[in-house]
Amino acid sequence: MFTYIVSLATLIGINAILAVTLNFILGYAGIFSLAHAIFFGIGAYTAAVAAMKFGADFAVATAAGMVISGVVSLALALPALRVRGEYFVAASLGLQMLALTVFSEWKSVTGGIGGLIGIPPARLFGFDVSDPVLFLGLTLACLAVILLVIRALVRSSFGRSLRAIRDDETAASALGKNVALLKTLAVMVSSAFAAVAGSLFSFYLSFINVESFVLEVSVQIIAMVIIGGTATLVGPVIGAVIVLLLPALLTYIPYLPPTEIGSIQQMIYGLAMVLLMIFRPSGLWGYGSDTQKQGEP
Amino acid sequence: MVFLQLFLNGLQLGAIYALTAVGFSLIFGSTKIFHVAHGSAFAISGYIYWWLASKLNVPWPLATLAAVIAAAVFGLLMERFIYRPIQRHEASFFTVFIAAFGVSLVIQNLIGTVAGRGMETVTTPLSRSVEIMDGLFVAPVSAISIGVAILVFAALSYFLERTHVGIAMRALSQNPDLVRVFGLDPGRVAQYAFVVGSAVVVPGAIFTAMTAGLNPAIGTHVMLVSLAATIVGGIGSVRGAAAGGMLLGLAENLAYWKLDPQWSEAVTFVVLFAFIIFRPSGFFGSPTTAK
Repeated sequence: MFTYIVSLATLIGINAILAVTLNFILGYAGIFSLAHAIFFGIGAYTAAVAAMKFGADFAVATAAGMVISGVVSLALALPALRVRGEYFVAASLGLQMLALTVFSEWKSVTGGIGGLIGIPPARLFGFDVSDPVLFLGLTLACLAVILLVIRALVRSSFGRSLRAIRDDETAASALGKNVALLKTLAVMVSSAFAAVAGSLFSFYLSFINVESFVLEVSVQIIAMVIIGGTATLVGPVIGAVIVLLLPALLTYIPYLPPTEIGSIQQMIYGLAMVLLMIFRPSGLWGYGSDTQKQGEP
Repeated sequence: MVFLQLFLNGLQLGAIYALTAVGFSLIFGSTKIFHVAHGSAFAISGYIYWWLASKLNVPWPLATLAAVIAAAVFGLLMERFIYRPIQRHEASFFTVFIAAFGVSLVIQNLIGTVAGRGMETVTTPLSRSVEIMDGLFVAPVSAISIGVAILVFAALSYFLERTHVGIAMRALSQNPDLVRVFGLDPGRVAQYAFVVGSAVVVPGAIFTAMTAGLNPAIGTHVMLVSLAATIVGGIGSVRGAAAGGMLLGLAENLAYWKLDPQWSEAVTFVVLFAFIIFRPSGFFGSPTTAK
């Protein structure tokens, strides 16, 4: 039981990082990305390769993942954010599909469909942190650091500018804000931090394959943010807890065929997204509908 | 000969894509709603057709009619029960997008649970390829699908340019008051846009069921193609969406010359990206549609 709770807590921590980082662009900047699982994946593959081929420790492997993820996100954000919001949605969906194909076809690096097996245990500055409880500590420490950084960013002038852009892009640019640059930076920060979750995931499971980075995962992260509440610090963490506890709760429903659980879960996310948007657009933890208004008359 | 074959296949796929994208673009053009659940109309009508035609042996005209009704009703319900209540509070792109995405998620999984997750095809004698020239194969159904696409475009153009409701639909995005001049209620015109826009996907869905086959995830693919074709053609332009869909279908098939089929979505992405970088307003969009 203890082992189970530690493992569930670790997975919740990893997913909370994903939700918090997605919320940074979704909630505060109004940028809708359908490709967050890809940046999670880039972090995971980079960390795995760094550890397996070069014997990198956790910090180095994570840093490598953050750099590569940030650079790839730049390639998406630079062209797609110069134009209207719809373009980024379409482009991110395209990237999600394309990158997944790359993940499963670039066999020499990603191991193809079979994935990468035997990622070495996590080491940090020469210490072994592969013990489940220690690893949970490492995960929660990463989450805490990311939360603090994002809190600082949100409260800085950078964060205020992002919210101004979200609320009224035209007004923000009239005030002299470089909208495209600010949004691009936000996407880079978000993607680089998502790679941290990927690195933790790789070291934790010691095995990764494309299954963990499919569109459904991107959607699941969106569901966490939406259910918990956009543009709040704690909301996405709560969302991650709810979304990850859901499958465990579903197994208690009698007569539910195990093969259908994934499907039912997705339907619940979908339904929750629809109902929340109609009745409570700011999410469960939001302050009411005005926190999320986007300036459209 | 390989090129000609791929070109023909591309035309057929392009016709399907064009039909799908046109509906999306029509809805966006008149209501300004970015209807990402559009792929679900495609999946629903395709599966209804498959279920009736190949499971219950219903004659194809009846099965087609049922598919059209299913798609139209889906569009109508989306407008009435999802988009309208949301737009009553606040009309943010973001809120509308998530709700529509939620709907497609529910539908995709519902289809998977009810109909199974495998690939389903409707076999007809028409789907068998015939060698029309040395080494050049064409299935009658492919030729038919191109013909049907042309017919549907012609009918749609006539509808949008010559009929009262069609003109009102185009006027809706500019100015709802203008719609009242036609003696129509703007809310009602938006519903027409959803009904017509959703119904046009049906031929594409049926031809897909007859050729490549359907799976529950088809809606997502269709959504990607519709979004890409709309951007390539110019957001809000029905003509552009048709051209964009055709271009994507051709590009995807011509790419098979060098690439494996699993890269088809990569081709869509590359074309989409090239347009975002070099011509964000698309083929027919005015420069003001892109900021």
